[in-house]
Amino acid sequence: MIDAIENSAYAIWVRESPSIWAFTTILSLHAMGLAIIVGINTMIALRLLGYVPGIPVASLRKLYPWMYVGFTINAFSGLSLLAANLSNDSHNPMFLMKLSLIALAMINLELTRAKVFDDPLVVNGTGVPAAAKRFAMASLVLWTLAIIAGRLSEYPSFVQAWLGITPIGQ
Amino acid sequence: MIDAIANFLTAGPFDEFVATNDWVWPLCEILHFFGMALLIGSVGLVDARMLGIGKGIPIKSLERFVPLGVIGFCINVITGLLFVAGNPVGGPQEYLTNLALQLKMLCVLIAGVNVLLFYALGIAKAANAVGPSGDAPMSAKIVAVVSLILWFGVIYFGRFIMYNDTLLYAWGL
Repeated sequence: MIDAIENSAYAIWVRESPSIWAFTTILSLHAMGLAIIVGINTMIALRLLGYVPGIPVASLRKLYPWMYVGFTINAFSGLSLLAANLSNDSHNPMFLMKLSLIALAMINLELTRAKVFDDPLVVNGTGVPAAAKRFAMASLVLWTLAIIAGRLSEYPSFVQAWLGITPIGQ
Repeated sequence: MIDAIANFLTAGPFDEFVATNDWVWPLCEILHFFGMALLIGSVGLVDARMLGIGKGIPIKSLERFVPLGVIGFCINVITGLLFVAGNPVGGPQEYLTNLALQLKMLCVLIAGVNVLLFYALGIAKAANAVGPSGDAPMSAKIVAVVSLILWFGVIYFGRFIMYNDTLLYAWGL
């Protein structure tokens, strides 16, 4: 199964094509998508924590579709990069940690929508629910850890030497 | 000029510091990504709002996030200089002659001029005067488009630094 994906025509193209649009552009898109979703979510979190009170909290709801633009870019680029390198990535503990953290960050993003942006206090512009700060802190912590895990997934020997975490199943 | 910059970067203890401590490079990469997200999240959001995205968010208030972008930019200048100084393969020379890095720096430079023009020409003032749901003036929209293209260009060419050959091959260089 892993071999079949990794040796599919698309995965081979991503990995081996000398085209400017293959591996490197997909890698670049992945950084751009990260900047969009993490960047916007960070600013929303800071507002929920009380920074820049001049911004009406309800108005930030309009940024949700744009965070999903970032997420979609990264789902597409991430799956492409994963297909091209599946046999390595599937054993990489930091990579699996990163995926888990992203899943938690996305759940937190939706909980923030349901518990903060859908709250009548916010909708009516009369206040912010007390839980908003907890969701905001969670988003900052989860994205920070996701970026750390994602970057460290590129340095398995460093991770092994400093953290004692070895590749899974090898 | 490349020699002068390379000599400057290797005159201090920095290249040695990066080379002898294996944690410096991964740590700087993590910080470089944080800086990127801060910059796009702040400056990029102001740009997006001036283009009409997220109407209801006051541009004037959104601009208070810009100092965070400046902090992100400073983090990235420092970590970026450490990357160039401590490049394990070929040293600073290799990076400073790298086409992708040169294009990235060109984007940073023009983006910097764009920011200066935004404030110096009174465009920022005009954009700040717009109401929470108002439409930014055309001059602000032009600045915003240029800014977004350039900062995403910085990310684009930044990722190509390690894969410079792809760029050279694509352009027949």
